Amino acid sequence: MTNYLLIQALNGLVIGIIYAVIAAGLTVIFSILKIVNFAHGEVYMMGGYFAYFAIALAGIPPLPAVLVAMTLSFALSILVERALLTPLYSPTTERKGDYGILVTFGISIFLRALALIIYGPYPLRPPSFWPGVAVVGDLVMAWDRVFAGGAGIAMLIGLVWFMNRSPWGEALNAVSQSRESAAIVGINDQRFYMLAFGLGGALAGGAGALVGPIYSLSPSMGLLPDTQAFAIVILGGMGSVAGSILAGLMIGVSESMFVALFPDPSRSLTYAQAFSLLILMLVLLIRPTGLFGRTHVAME
Amino acid sequence: MLVAAALALAFPFMVNAYWLSVGVLAMFYAIVAASWALLAGYAGQFSFGHMAFVSLGAYTSGLLVMTFGVPIPFGMVAGVLMCAIVGSGIGFVCLRMRGPYLALFTVAFSEVLRIVIVSENEVTGGSGGLEVTPLFHGRTDAPYYYLGLILLVASLAIMLFLVTSRWGLFFRAIRENEDAAAAAGVKVVRFRILAFAITSSFAGLAGGFYGHYIGILTPDIGSVDQMGLVVAMAVIGGAESIVAAMIGALGLEFLVEALRSYGQWRLVLFGALLLLTMRFARNGLLALAWQQFNAILPLPLRDVVGGKGQLGTGTASSPQPPTARGGGVS
Repeated sequence: MTNYLLIQALNGLVIGIIYAVIAAGLTVIFSILKIVNFAHGEVYMMGGYFAYFAIALAGIPPLPAVLVAMTLSFALSILVERALLTPLYSPTTERKGDYGILVTFGISIFLRALALIIYGPYPLRPPSFWPGVAVVGDLVMAWDRVFAGGAGIAMLIGLVWFMNRSPWGEALNAVSQSRESAAIVGINDQRFYMLAFGLGGALAGGAGALVGPIYSLSPSMGLLPDTQAFAIVILGGMGSVAGSILAGLMIGVSESMFVALFPDPSRSLTYAQAFSLLILMLVLLIRPTGLFGRTHVAME
Repeated sequence: MLVAAALALAFPFMVNAYWLSVGVLAMFYAIVAASWALLAGYAGQFSFGHMAFVSLGAYTSGLLVMTFGVPIPFGMVAGVLMCAIVGSGIGFVCLRMRGPYLALFTVAFSEVLRIVIVSENEVTGGSGGLEVTPLFHGRTDAPYYYLGLILLVASLAIMLFLVTSRWGLFFRAIRENEDAAAAAGVKVVRFRILAFAITSSFAGLAGGFYGHYIGILTPDIGSVDQMGLVVAMAVIGGAESIVAAMIGALGLEFLVEALRSYGQWRLVLFGALLLLTMRFARNGLLALAWQQFNAILPLPLRDVVGGKGQLGTGTASSPQPPTARGGGVS
């Protein structure tokens, strides 16, 4: 039983890392554009398919395929941002928050319906990054999961470095704090809106590419991680990348503990889906700013 | 107006059984979309859990009828009451939430409800569905159609009465600026909860009607995709006007069936249409069409034909007096 719990905890840790990558992308978008992106899960889904087709059609090996998926998701996000989100920056747009909610909700519907046509409703499973299982003592874990966890950590480290140490990251932070002041010191805010939305999309797409071999790909695969990512972002505090990462790990581990300890095994999996949603609802009720929320990025 | 009314009354005699059933479903969607427009467009509370209330109303009625043998009309009333109670509850806990927080909370609520319905399959039938006694046992759907029409007209009349009354003003005042509304003496708490409870009850009513028409309830009715369809209907018609949202729902439901041979492409088309509407004509296509139509009229006739207030072309910054909205409707 303890072994089972330990394996569940490790699985939860890997899933938590993936959640953290998705949620960190959502946070980047939120802190710069000040919108909640309801289409984030669909970019995640697209990333998974991009990787699949990079492997299946172009014959790219699995590892570079993740990078291809991230690049394509980046491009897709920028396209979406330029086509549909520019009214968010215009001073003449009324009630930008409402616009952001509805338009990203529309994008999610559109992308999901499009995916259903292009990819079909049947689940696809891309080839393994690394076949076989890792065995440490009594513990057994698929290498794919180990790899996904490692790659996820690498993405998160890269993101934290980018946001805190690189000039572009500092510019993003400046735009997040005040658009006007950033413009005064010569930062072209339009470029950084594009960058932020693209970066968030690339993280989601990368996460989608990583989970492809673990779970299967399907057009509706983005629905659940999307709400889970919201739960994480809210728990970690809107706009805090570190908070998102920590909350992602917490939710991932506690969710798989929930599955392991739920008394009725036939229902544990379906109720596990509700678990993070209940956390989301609770956090929204008790502490809407989350654990590490920064006040200057609070929602208008 | 008279032509539309005559057309609506004569509809069952003009079409075959298939299109009649489409007409019944169109009534259902029209009630749902119009009440969502009241909640989102007028009261400014973007709830993505509206279909969850439809599902709650349908399952409440269905389970009462099937398990306890309650007569169907009482079951439907119970569904409405259930939605009013749960709706006030959700409205109460969401009081401090604005915009996206409320949207997130309601998405979570509707997914949790769907998951519970799927999981507790011993009670609800799970994803296999719950068989529900139909309301009428005739050979045609005409009774359903007329009942749906009556429900739609009654709901619409109540909603229009609401938005043209002082309450409608309060709803819009809260939407524009909660603090200013409170400072002006609007009881923000009471009216935010009221808006949620009232619109949820309409959703529950539509749900009960739907359940006892279709005869089998599945958790899919409360899914995010269904919500997307309703949002598309309301936004394409014009989410800031109840009548426009209703027309959008009727139009889109018939379009859904007319384009049946295109299968999945329809959702892509509606998604694209929703995005284009949001991007280029935020007040909805009906308002846009009215503007174009108005522009080609000779000058003296403009704004006289009575559509402008009716379609609620007023934008957020220039709210019209409540009497102007819906003035040409009743």
